[in-house]
Amino acid sequence: MDNINVLIIEDTKAESDALVKVLNANNYNIVGIAPTYKEALELFYNNKIDIVVIDIFLNGNPDGITFAETINVVPGAAKPFVFLTSSTDRKIFERAKLTQPFSFLMKPFNELEILYAIEMAVEKFYAQNDVFLSDEEDTVISKEYLFIKKGKSLKKVLLNEIIYIEVEEKYCNIITEKEKFVILISLTKILNLLDNDMFCRTHRNFIVNSEKIVEIVPADNLILLSGNHKATLSDTYKTIIKKIRTLK
Amino acid sequence: MKVNLKILFLLFFLSIPCLLLSQEKKDENIFEREIKTKSNQFISEPNFHKALSFFLEKKWDSTLVYSMKQLSSTKDEELTNYCHFFRGFSFKQKKIYKEAQKEFTEISIGFKFYNRVKMLLGAIALEQNEFQKAIDYYKDLEYLKSPEFFGIKKSNVEHNLGISYLHLKKFDKAEYYLLKSTKTQELNKDTLLLVGAYGDIATLYYEQYKDDLAIPYFQKSYKLSKKTTDFNLKRNTAKNMAVVEENRKDYKLSILYRKEYEKWKDSSNDQNKIWEVAKLEKEFAVKQKQKEVTVLEAENKLKVAERNKLFYSAVSLLVLLAAGGYFYSQKVKTNKIIIAQKATLDELNATKDKLFSIVSHDLRSSVNALKTSNSKLQASLETKNFTELDSQLNTNSAITNGAYNLLDNLLNWALLQTQQGYFEITSMRLFIIVEHVAYNYKPLLLDKNISFENTVVKKEFIDADQESLKIILRNLLDNAIKFSNENGSIKFYSRNTNDTFCELVIEDNGLGMTESTRLELLKDTALLSKKENEDIIGTGLGMQLVKQMIQKNNGKFNIESELGKGTKMIVSLPKTAS
Repeated sequence: MDNINVLIIEDTKAESDALVKVLNANNYNIVGIAPTYKEALELFYNNKIDIVVIDIFLNGNPDGITFAETINVVPGAAKPFVFLTSSTDRKIFERAKLTQPFSFLMKPFNELEILYAIEMAVEKFYAQNDVFLSDEEDTVISKEYLFIKKGKSLKKVLLNEIIYIEVEEKYCNIITEKEKFVILISLTKILNLLDNDMFCRTHRNFIVNSEKIVEIVPADNLILLSGNHKATLSDTYKTIIKKIRTLK
Repeated sequence: MKVNLKILFLLFFLSIPCLLLSQEKKDENIFEREIKTKSNQFISEPNFHKALSFFLEKKWDSTLVYSMKQLSSTKDEELTNYCHFFRGFSFKQKKIYKEAQKEFTEISIGFKFYNRVKMLLGAIALEQNEFQKAIDYYKDLEYLKSPEFFGIKKSNVEHNLGISYLHLKKFDKAEYYLLKSTKTQELNKDTLLLVGAYGDIATLYYEQYKDDLAIPYFQKSYKLSKKTTDFNLKRNTAKNMAVVEENRKDYKLSILYRKEYEKWKDSSNDQNKIWEVAKLEKEFAVKQKQKEVTVLEAENKLKVAERNKLFYSAVSLLVLLAAGGYFYSQKVKTNKIIIAQKATLDELNATKDKLFSIVSHDLRSSVNALKTSNSKLQASLETKNFTELDSQLNTNSAITNGAYNLLDNLLNWALLQTQQGYFEITSMRLFIIVEHVAYNYKPLLLDKNISFENTVVKKEFIDADQESLKIILRNLLDNAIKFSNENGSIKFYSRNTNDTFCELVIEDNGLGMTESTRLELLKDTALLSKKENEDIIGTGLGMQLVKQMIQKNNGKFNIESELGKGTKMIVSLPKTAS
C-alpha cells in the first residue's frame, strides 16, 4: 500500500505550510508545492500525481481554475483535484464549476474538511460516489490503482501488484507480492470495475491476476501463482484456460 | 244697325271655345276613368302604358312620342285605335287641327269611344268655321242616349248644332236647337251655360230683327250674368245690352251699360293686374323667405360652428382634466410608493446603524480585550510566570475566535443581503457536516469541559448548500457553548419524524430562555433582537443569519427551551429523495 501523491498549488507560504503539515500527518505524500500556474504544470507533468489541491487565486488571478481547465483538456492527463478558496464570489464559482468534476473547500478549513474534500474529489473523479463515508465500502477503483481508506487517510495499491483477490462475504482479501489486506467492496462492483483482460474469476471466491499465473493444474482444480500463492479453479470458470493459452 | 250687330255677333262668338273647354273639364274625370278601365287589357305593352299615363297627366308631347312608338310596333286594331285617339286628342290640345282630324279619321267605327271622336271632330270643325261639317258630326250624335256620351251632355250637342245653324243663317233650325238646349240647361240650372245660351237665342232673334223677342233674352242673360263671377260674361252681356239700348235710341241707358261694360273690362284688367301684383308680391315674399332662409342657414352654420367649437373645447378640456387627474393619481401613487420605500429604507437604515454600533462595540471590546491581554502576556513573559502565560494565551485565542466568528457572520450576512454568494444545493451526509463543524470547537468544548455528542444517523442524507449549512451549525453550536455552563453537555442528534424533512436537534443543558425571548428569536424580522444580557448575549446577528440561511435552504427552524434547564434548537432540512 502506497501513500497518495499530492500536488499543492498555493501561493501563500503560511497556508501551504499548514496544508503540508496536515497532509503529512495523514500519510499523504506531498510531491511539490507550486506557487504559480507554470510551475504547477511542470510539476504535474514530471511527477506521478494522484490528487491536486488548487488554490483558485494565485497572485490575485484565478490561475487555479486555468490550471484545472488545462489538465482537463489533455486526454488521460486529468487527475482528481480540489479547489481551495476564501471567496464565495459567485462569478468565480460559476467558472470553476465548469471544470467537472467540481469539488471545493472554503478557507479556513480544518483537518477533517480537507481530508473529506480529497476523498470527495476522488469519488467524484472516478464516479463512484458515497464510498469512503459509508460503512459498506472503503475502496475506489481506478484503471491503475485501488484507492483504499485506511483510518483517516487514503492509500493506494497498484493493480499490477495484486496477485489475487479472495472474496469473503462483503470483504475482499487483497494479496499482493508484499502484503495482504482486507478491503470493503461488493463482489459485483469489483468485477465490474476491474480490467477483464487482467483479472479473471476462477472460482466463486477467487479473482486472479492472469499475469501472475505460474501454472494451472486442472486436475487438482488449482492455479499456482507467483510468490507461491495458490488459487482454486472451479469447473464453472475453466474456460479461462483457453484465454490464458491464447495469451501465451 | 247691321254693323253693330256684326260686332255683337263677333263678340259673342268668341265665348264658344271657352264654353266648350269648361264642358270638357267637367266630364274629364268620368272619361278618364272609362278610358283607364277599357285600356287596362293593354297594360302589358310598356309604350302604351307610358302613352296612357302621359295622356292622363296631360303631357301631350310625350304622349305623342310613346303612342307613335306603340303604333310602329303593333298591328292590334283596338290598340291602334287607342293610339290614334291619344294622338288626335293631343294634337287637338296643341291646336294642330289638321293633324288631329287626320288621326281621328284613322280610328275605325268599332272603337269604344267613337262617339267621343265624333264630338271632338265636330268641335274641330266648329273651330275651323266648317259649320256644315260640324252639323254633320253633331247630327249623328243628336239622337244617342246620354250614357253613351260618357258624360258629354246632350244639351251641348244641341247647343253646338244651334250655333252652327245660326252661323249658316238657318234661323228656324237654330232657334229649335238653341231653345231645346236652353230648356235642358234650365233644368240643369247650369248658370254659366244658360247665360251663353240666352245670349245665343237673343242673338238669333236679333239677327232676324225680332227685337221684341230678342230683348227679353238679352235682359235675362244680363240678369243671370250678375249672379256669376265670370267678368267676361258680365262684360259681354253688359256690352250686348248697351248695343241693344243704343239701337233703341235709349242712349242714356246705353251709356250706363257701356260704362258697366268698361267697368267689367277694367275689373277684368284689374283682376289681371291684381294677379300680376299678387304674383309679384308672392315672388317678392318668396325671395324674402329665401333670404330669410339663407340668413337662417348662415346663422345655423354659425351656430353649428360655435357649438362644434364649444364641444371640441369641452372635449379637449375634459381630456386635459382626465390627463391631469391621471398624472396626479400617478404622482400620488408614486409618492405612496416612495413613502413606503422610505419607511422600509429608514427601517433598514436603523437596522444597519444598530448593526454597526453593535459590531463596532463588540469588535472594539474584543480587540481592546486582546490588547490588554497581550500587555498582561508581555508582563508575564518578563516575569517568566509560565503558568499564567498558558491561561492568558487561551483567553487570547478565545477572544480572537469570538471576534473571528463575528467577522465571519458579518461577511456572510452582507453576502446574503447582496445575493452575491455562491449557493448550490447538493446532497450530503448530515453527520459528516456536523463532525466538520464541531471539530473547530473541540478546544472550546474542552476548555469549558462540556461533553459533546454527535449521534446524527450516519445514513441521513439531506439537500442543502454545504457552506450555508456550516454557517448555520457553527452559529448554533457557538450559541450552545456560549449558553452552557461548565461541565455541561451538548448533543447533536436527528429526529426522524417526517418523511420529507430531517430534524436536526442541537440540545444543551445550559441557561435556557424565557418564552418571550424564544418568540422574539423566532420572529421573522430584519431587526436585530434586543440585548438582554450584556455579558453573554451577542449581536443577534448570528441568529438572524441562521434563520435566513435555513429559509434559503428550504428548511424550518424552531426552538424549544426552558429557563434554567436548557435549549433545543431544531433545524428541519429536506431529505434527499432516494
